[in-house]
Amino acid sequence: MSSNTPPNQTLANPQAPRWWLWLVDRVAAIPAHAWAVMLVLLVMPLVADDFFLFQIFGWTFILGIVALSLMFLAGYGGMVSLIQMSVAGLAGYMVALFGDSGTTISLGLPWWFVVPLAMVIATLFGSLVGLLAVRTEGIYTIMITLAMASAFYYFTRQNYTIFNGYTGFNLVLPPDLFGVNWREPVPFYYLTLVAAGLCFLLVTYVSRAPFGLALQGVRDNPRRMAALGFNVTAHRVAAYAFASALASVGGILLVWQNAQIAPGTAGIHATFDILIIAVIGGLSRPSGPFLGAFLFVLLSTFAPDVLRAIGASGERYKMLIGGIFLFVVFVSPDGLLGLWERWKAHLTRDDMARGKGETRP
Amino acid sequence: MTTETIKSPAAATSSAGHALELRGVSKLFGALAALSDIDLAIRPGERRAVLGSNGAGKTTLFNCITGDFLPSTGGIRLFGEDVTRFPAQERIRRGLRRTYQISLLFNGLTVRDNVYLACRGVSRGRFSFLRSRADDSLMQAAEDLVAAVHLSDLIDTPVSVLAYGQQRQLEIALALAGAPRLILFDEPAAGLSPTERKDLVEILTGLPAHIGYVIIEHDMDVALRVAERVTMMHNGRIFKEGLPEEIENDPEVQALYLGDGHE
Amino acid sequence: MREFARQHPVWSGIAIVVALFVIWAIFAPWPEGFEAIFGRKRVFLNAVFSGITLGALYFLVASGFTLIFGLMHNVNLAHGSLYLLGGYLGYEFAEWTGYWLLSFVLVFIVVGCVGMAMQVLVFRRLEGQELRQTLVTIGISVVAADLMLWAWGGSSYQVMSPDWLRGPMELPLIAGYGRDGELVYLRYPKVRIAILFAAIVIGIGIWMALNRTRIGMIIRAGVDDRDILGAMGIPISRVFLGVFAFGAGLAGIAGVVGGTFQSIAPGEDTRFLMASLVVVIVGGMGSLQGAAIGAVLIGLAEQLGSVYMPTYAVVLTFLIMAAVLAFRPQGLMGRRG
Ligand SMILES: Nc1ncnc2c1ncn2[C@@H]1O[C@H](COP(=O)(O)OP(=O)(O)O)[C@@H](O)[C@H]1O
Ligand SMILES: [Mg+2]
Repeated sequence: MSSNTPPNQTLANPQAPRWWLWLVDRVAAIPAHAWAVMLVLLVMPLVADDFFLFQIFGWTFILGIVALSLMFLAGYGGMVSLIQMSVAGLAGYMVALFGDSGTTISLGLPWWFVVPLAMVIATLFGSLVGLLAVRTEGIYTIMITLAMASAFYYFTRQNYTIFNGYTGFNLVLPPDLFGVNWREPVPFYYLTLVAAGLCFLLVTYVSRAPFGLALQGVRDNPRRMAALGFNVTAHRVAAYAFASALASVGGILLVWQNAQIAPGTAGIHATFDILIIAVIGGLSRPSGPFLGAFLFVLLSTFAPDVLRAIGASGERYKMLIGGIFLFVVFVSPDGLLGLWERWKAHLTRDDMARGKGETRP
Repeated sequence: MTTETIKSPAAATSSAGHALELRGVSKLFGALAALSDIDLAIRPGERRAVLGSNGAGKTTLFNCITGDFLPSTGGIRLFGEDVTRFPAQERIRRGLRRTYQISLLFNGLTVRDNVYLACRGVSRGRFSFLRSRADDSLMQAAEDLVAAVHLSDLIDTPVSVLAYGQQRQLEIALALAGAPRLILFDEPAAGLSPTERKDLVEILTGLPAHIGYVIIEHDMDVALRVAERVTMMHNGRIFKEGLPEEIENDPEVQALYLGDGHE
Repeated sequence: MREFARQHPVWSGIAIVVALFVIWAIFAPWPEGFEAIFGRKRVFLNAVFSGITLGALYFLVASGFTLIFGLMHNVNLAHGSLYLLGGYLGYEFAEWTGYWLLSFVLVFIVVGCVGMAMQVLVFRRLEGQELRQTLVTIGISVVAADLMLWAWGGSSYQVMSPDWLRGPMELPLIAGYGRDGELVYLRYPKVRIAILFAAIVIGIGIWMALNRTRIGMIIRAGVDDRDILGAMGIPISRVFLGVFAFGAGLAGIAGVVGGTFQSIAPGEDTRFLMASLVVVIVGGMGSLQGAAIGAVLIGLAEQLGSVYMPTYAVVLTFLIMAAVLAFRPQGLMGRRG
């Protein structure tokens, strides 16, 4: 084997395949704090209890993925789409309908067929809504996608042949792949972590690829994009398709986590929740939605107890979330991440000012 | 009758000789006729200046040619092909380029990304999910264009922090991307410093001979230096066309344009 | 209309045939075979009337929404909350004073003031930032829903209509043949007739106000071109305040109406927000006539849909909206901005 290698070339040199060099470069480019976050997340099951792993982190990652799809459209494409939760819900419904559930209308097809099928159907639905929404611009996008989302909600409530009406589907479980019960806290934690991580990496990567750059160009100046040879409408619809594929991943994980799905899963409140999560976290970076989701999950899980502890009614946690959302919208257009960054910039400016004022001994 | 002659094969071959041909183009904004019955023909490689006072309809003319607006009546042929109903991007892909009087840049992106998008827009892979490597030919082309407009030092700066003159330069770089055959410059020299103006003239005169352009320019000196022929517009109509010296010495032009141009 | 008729002879022909058929279906007694296919005429007529009445209610909610949008380019997603608040307050006032009609006046004033507060405290501060304005209204609707749940709980309320509006009245419309072959006329709740009547009066009133008065002229000029108001030296902020208060007050009144002929409960806010959105998308943003047409269309679609295709009724609404967006994105009566 070594006799085949020319003596003047080591294995690590240009002989190495291009993808390997690419990978090494990418890994080397990861900043230190990202390594730290990754490490903490990987060892989390050693310290966190089951409730935290399944309910807090699992849910955070899932909501984060759906909010990430909104962030992609809004942050890079300038289209604030409220259809993302419906797309996720449709994916969940399709898994329940074509796969196994405790309802007789489920078809019981194998998971390796059902999961891609659900993603394709949800992606088609999202692209179709996108196709209608991109014909108008700006604030109209919110109105149209919100109207579509509510139509979807009322349809799921009304229709029994596909969505099983009010009841929805129960006992929708993930497949027993590799003999693991994926709804056990630790496996589910890693399942959602890996899915969220992959979606995050994909969005980060695509944002600097021609497709993502062009989308940002469309956001900044659609007229100029057309004058550079781009088909603006096609780019917008393609962005909806990509974001819908992401959202469908979140929807499938969500139906597995809850083991059930009903109209409320993709109801109007859930739709607003996704927007609130993405806006609180920050719409300009892929990490924003996950931060927002974590905060949202912590609030909706613990705020009732905390409120009750201080003598208020535990029911009022929605008001708390709404209040925080209002605060963030008023104070920082770029969510908590933007706030954090401004604070950091402020600190460094202070440091510099102090550094100048000091006289060295 | 004229519409029939355009459709006849003989006329088609004669118009195939032109890079750009407008027949009876009008554009109405409500009751206002921003363009009325414009006929214009540009040969391949020709350098043409369009002069006219503010509101004469020059920018509207460009907008109709590039497809930013659809003309109310009339037809537009680009390199022998009828593009009257084509969307903007289809015309651009056929070798047409333009700059805007008021810079239209991508403020959220860097100088490099702006020019890279311009290069990508007229090549394949507009929807590619794969990042370009630094030694990719389009990346190289983008860097060369940035160098050509003297912005190499600012290549990784967001466009929003560029100075006005630098944004105008970048505006030109975007129009030079790919393989242009006909470029429309909308007042590229307006607001530039004398040195920047000199650079601009150098870029324009240094373009390969097969690239034609139409330039809207208020500064007679610049216009006459970079153009072979001059078209005069007034109130949405073309009222004179000729060699620079003819136009300069035309009494009508002097009365109408130079008069209020030098107020 | 005339232009359309001249340019599209086939479509106009089809439209006329459909219109004649609908008129026949409403006024003539149905022959036997027809009833066998489409069910009893009474059911059809009831669905049509419910649809129109519902459309009247939708119009009341959506007209304020569309006026505010047209003038201020400001999407108030808390509009449904104003509707719900109006309903609860109407219930309280009607119980307290005992006068149904008086509650309308009170609700209009109170909810109008709430609208004014929103305009002053929120929209004026975020002037020109449409996205943030919209996000804020979503936040407000979330908080408001929770506040109202706190105050009025989860049960549903019904605003009592006065005695003179109780019971049905007979309409000069044939519902079918009775047992002895005599004609039977349609009976329909008086309250609903009153609502329909009131919505038409209010609609015509707004239309007259917009087209016949100076302030209406100013508002219409503002819808066409906002900058014109400033150029005319008109205090824009006061016009905005007035329109916002009026639109909010209308939503409040609609709440009382909805609470009388349906009921008021948590969740109705989103339902009527959605209805307003769909109506305005279909009719065209900023257009009053559009809101009227859209409201009746959506009301009819919902009621006829729920009678003739119960589990797919929403699809009908959805299809109308999708068709409008696909072929006329600015809405039926909207103009391209
Ligand atoms: N988008 C538009 N809508 C309405 N009027 C316009 C528009 N663009 C240009 N106009 C009008 O058309 C006329 C010609 O404008 P323009 O072509 O910009 O002139 P020029 O570039 O020669 O200064 C002007 O009166 C201008 O107000
Ligand atoms: Mg101009």
